[in-house]
Amino acid sequence: MSMTANPPRWAEALLRLFLKPDDFENASGDLLEQYRDSVYPGRGRLRADLWYVSQVFTFVSPGTRLFAALFSAQFLIRTALDWFLPPGDFHFRSTVSTAMGITTLVAAGFWAAWRSTSFASGPIAGSLSAGIAAITSIAGTAIILAIWHSPQIMDGIRASGGFEEVVGLPLMMVLPGALFGAFGGFAGAGLRRLPPFCNPSH
Amino acid sequence: MADSLGAFEQAVLLSILRLGEDAYGRAILREVQERLDRDVAAGAVHATLEQLAKKGLVASRLGTGTPMRGGRARRFYKVQAKGVRALNNARATAESLWHGLRWPLKGYV
Repeated sequence: MSMTANPPRWAEALLRLFLKPDDFENASGDLLEQYRDSVYPGRGRLRADLWYVSQVFTFVSPGTRLFAALFSAQFLIRTALDWFLPPGDFHFRSTVSTAMGITTLVAAGFWAAWRSTSFASGPIAGSLSAGIAAITSIAGTAIILAIWHSPQIMDGIRASGGFEEVVGLPLMMVLPGALFGAFGGFAGAGLRRLPPFCNPSH
Repeated sequence: MADSLGAFEQAVLLSILRLGEDAYGRAILREVQERLDRDVAAGAVHATLEQLAKKGLVASRLGTGTPMRGGRARRFYKVQAKGVRALNNARATAESLWHGLRWPLKGYV
């Protein structure tokens, strides 16, 4: 048992951003109690800190996972369409998929900020959703390519921007994810702070 | 009609019943882990408790903090009448599904 050991501050701050203030009080207390009582004495600082961070992500991820899955699905559908049904003009398809992607990231930020009442959770949720989506969509693309790699498909890949775009674009979305998440966060936290008579949560 | 419960929701509700007055987040987590015999994420239990409270199956009150928790309050949970009905219903459904079959299952495949 160690009464003075403390988990990483940034992880605790992250937990605070994703929970309502009341929930943060008891959830962080439960985690701190376990950290000090059994994890830290049994595993040492480094492994105890890793345990704490992994536990924080179990609080953060449920809603963010949904938006990450949506965002990833949009990437994969767009990639598959471009490879299998390459259009003459990519402009319309690009516009639609960009609008859907932005909407998803704004919604991720809105959801997180609405739930936690904290603006700052918006950009974190946006970038986290984009980050998770980047990993899953790159893996998904690799699977598609492993199954279908005929010369016709390779032509489709070249016509739609090549492999660089397939791998680079999802990764490049992490920063814009924070920006669009911030827009959503601003709206979500702002709506929660409205007076009761015009606040939909009351 | 009583709410239908998932297996994890049942595990959490039954843990609260077993723990009685001591049913707070960490104790519930430990009890669920012991009963299910596997590691369970604190966030999963927290989200389930939130859902159960929303459905009116459990109620909660804040207790006092302790130095071990950095002074942060514990939230204690209690199963409500609606929760007991839902558990009874889940048990009755399981009994009905298993009726006439010998457990453990042998010789069917």
